[in-house]
Amino acid sequence: MTTTTELAGAPVRVSGVTKQYRDARALDQVDLDIESGEFITLLGSSGSGKSTLLNIIAGFTDCDAGVVEVDGIDITKTPPHKRGLGMVFQHYALFPHMTVFDNVAFPLRRRRTPKAEMVRLVEEALDIVQLGHLGKRMPQQLSGGQQQRVALARAIVFRPKVLLMDEPLGALDKRLREQLQLEIKRLHRELGITFVFVTHDQEEALAMSDRIALLRDGRIVQIGTPEELYEQPAERYTAEFLGESNLFSGTIVNGVLPYGEHGSIQVRDGSADGAGSVMVRPEHVSVLRPDEQVPVGCNALRGTVREVIYLGSGRRAEVTLPDGTHVVARTPADRRHSRLVPGEPVVVTWAKQHGQVVADGPPADEAAIPAGRAAVPA
Amino acid sequence: MSRLLVRGGLVTLAVLTGLVLIAPVLVIIPMSFSDSSFLEFPPTDWSFRWYENFFSDPSWRASTLSSLKIAVLVTITAVILGTAAAFGLVRGRLRAKAAVAGLVIAPLIVPYVIVGLAVYAAALQVGLTQTTLGFVLVHTALGVPFVTVNVAASLASFDQRLEQAAMSLGASPLTTFLRVTLPIIAPGVAAGALFAFITSWDEVVVSLFLSGPELTTLPVQMWSGVRVAIDPTVTAVSSLLLLFTITAFAALGVARLIRNRRLARSHR
Ligand SMILES: Nc1ncnc2c1ncn2[C@@H]1O[C@H](COP(=O)(O)OP(=O)(O)O)[C@@H](O)[C@H]1O
Ligand SMILES: [Mg+2]
Repeated sequence: MTTTTELAGAPVRVSGVTKQYRDARALDQVDLDIESGEFITLLGSSGSGKSTLLNIIAGFTDCDAGVVEVDGIDITKTPPHKRGLGMVFQHYALFPHMTVFDNVAFPLRRRRTPKAEMVRLVEEALDIVQLGHLGKRMPQQLSGGQQQRVALARAIVFRPKVLLMDEPLGALDKRLREQLQLEIKRLHRELGITFVFVTHDQEEALAMSDRIALLRDGRIVQIGTPEELYEQPAERYTAEFLGESNLFSGTIVNGVLPYGEHGSIQVRDGSADGAGSVMVRPEHVSVLRPDEQVPVGCNALRGTVREVIYLGSGRRAEVTLPDGTHVVARTPADRRHSRLVPGEPVVVTWAKQHGQVVADGPPADEAAIPAGRAAVPA
Repeated sequence: MSRLLVRGGLVTLAVLTGLVLIAPVLVIIPMSFSDSSFLEFPPTDWSFRWYENFFSDPSWRASTLSSLKIAVLVTITAVILGTAAAFGLVRGRLRAKAAVAGLVIAPLIVPYVIVGLAVYAAALQVGLTQTTLGFVLVHTALGVPFVTVNVAASLASFDQRLEQAAMSLGASPLTTFLRVTLPIIAPGVAAGALFAFITSWDEVVVSLFLSGPELTTLPVQMWSGVRVAIDPTVTAVSSLLLLFTITAFAALGVARLIRNRRLARSHR
C-alpha cells in the first residue's frame, strides 16, 4: 500500500455528545478533538463509556445531544454504511460463511471495485497483515490472532480515513497482544490514517497512543500525551489509573504539605497551594538506611520495610509509614533493595521536583452521575 | 455380562418399536401392486393398475397439482411472514412480546378440528372455500409458527456485531440482511420452510372443511379414497409418497455426509 501520509487521514471532532440510557448516563457532554492521522486511545475502566463513544462515532448508536464531525462534515445523522469509517471489534466479527478472501473483499464489492483491482487490493491488504497465503481458509480455521489480522485487513482495504477499534486485543493472550500492538502501530505509521483505539489496559494505552483520553463515568477526565498523563496527572483518578502511584493528601501551604506529626512534604516548585494530593511515582522513590545521608532538596519520611519483591527488571519495596500509609519504591535490580529485610527501619526519599500536585476530583462513589440529574435534550 | 444383557434388551426393544411403527406403513407397498379392486394383503395377483390409474385419472392428477401448488405458495408466504415475526420477536422492542409470541404459536396449540370449523364458517362467508387462495391463507397460518420458532432460534444465537461490521464496511441494511444475516440464519429458515411445506402438503383435518368438488388436495382425496369409495389407488399414491420421502431424506443425509467429510479434510 502506498505510504502517502498527506490526505490519508481525517480529523474527527466530537462536541457536546451526551447519551442517556434508562438507568445510566453513558456519556455526559463529551468534547474530543482528534487530529488527522493521530493515534488516540479512549482509556477507562469497564462501563466508563468508551464503547458508547466509539459506537456513536461509528453510527451504531444515536446520541441524545451533540455533534460528530469527520473531515469537517457533520455526520451525526449519517447512517453507518455511509460514513466510510473502518471498524475492528473485540471478537473479530468475521463473516463465518465467507472465506478470508471474501471477507476482505466485502467492502470493495459494496463499492463495486473492478475485479482485477479488487483482487490486487485484497491480496495487498492480506500481505500487510502477513496472511497472504490464507485467503482460501474459512475464519473458523484460523487462530484468534489470525482472525483479528483478517479483521484489520478487512477494515483497511477500502482505505478509510479513520479506523475505529474497540478493545481489538482484549480476547488475545498476553504475548499475542504485545505482538499485535506492534503491528497495529506499524499499520498506523504506514497508512497515516486516524486511529481511534479503545482499551481498558493502561499499559497498552501508554505504549501505543499519540494521545490518551481518560474516561470516567461518561466524562473525559484528562486528555494528553502518555507522558503528560503519566507524569502530570491533573486528578487523583488519573494518577491512580495509570501506573502505580504514591499519594499523600492534605492542604498545601507555601509549597509544603504538612505530613504526620514529624514531617512535611515539599512539592515541585511553582505548584499551587490548596487542598489536594501529592503524587510520587515509585520509580522516583529511594529507600535509605537511617544512618545514610538524605540528599539536598529531597523529602524524607521514616518507616519500616513491609516487603520486597523481585520483579526481574527491578525490585519493588513497600515501606509502611508510622500512620499506616504504604509507600512503594521501585529500583533497578542491581541496587540496594535486595538487602532490605521486612521490619527493618528505613527512610524513603524523593527529590521534591518529583512531587506532583493533583486535584482530588470527585470520589469514586459520588462520581457516578445519577440518571436524570441533568435534563436530557430531546 | 449384565451389561451385555442390558444392551441386547435395548437393541431388541428399539428394533421392535421400529417395526411396530414402520410395519403398517410397509404393508402398503405390496398392497399397491395388487390386482384386486379391494384393499388386499397379501395380494393374490400382482399388477401396476393402481399406478396407471393414479397417473391417468384426471381427478388424482388435479388434486396432486393443487396440493403441490398450495404447498409451494404456503412455503413462500409462511417463510416471509414467519421470518418477519421472528425478527420482531427477537430484535423488536415490543412491550407485549409474550402475548405476540403466543398469538404466533397459537395455531400449533389450538386443535385442528376447531381451526377447521372456524375457518370453514369464515371462508364460506367470503367465498374462499374450494379456492387456492383460501387454502394458502389457512395453511400459511398453520405453517408460520414452525418458521418463526426455527428462525427465532437461529436469530437468538446470531451475533449482531456481524451486521454492524457489514454496515461499517459499506453495506446498506438490505445488503447486510441479504449477504450476512440471511446466509447465517439460512439453516433455521430452511428447516422452517421444510416444516411449512410438509404442514400444508399432508394437512387433512382443516383441508377437509375447505375441500369440495371444485378443489381438493391430495391428502383429502386419499382420505375420501378410503372412506367414501374404496379406491386402491390410495395405496399406490402412498407408496409413491413414501418413496419420495425416503429418497429426499437419503439425499439430505448423503449431502450432509459429503459436506462433513469436506470440512474435516479442509481442517487438516
Ligand atoms: N444498550 C445499553 N443499554 C443500557 N445501558 C447501556 C447500554 N450500553 C451501555 N450501557 C451503559 O452505559 C455505560 C457505558 O457503557 P460502555 O460504553 O459499554 O462502557 P465501556 O465500553 O467503557 O465498558 C455503562 O454503564 C453501561 O451499563
Ligand atoms: Mg466496551
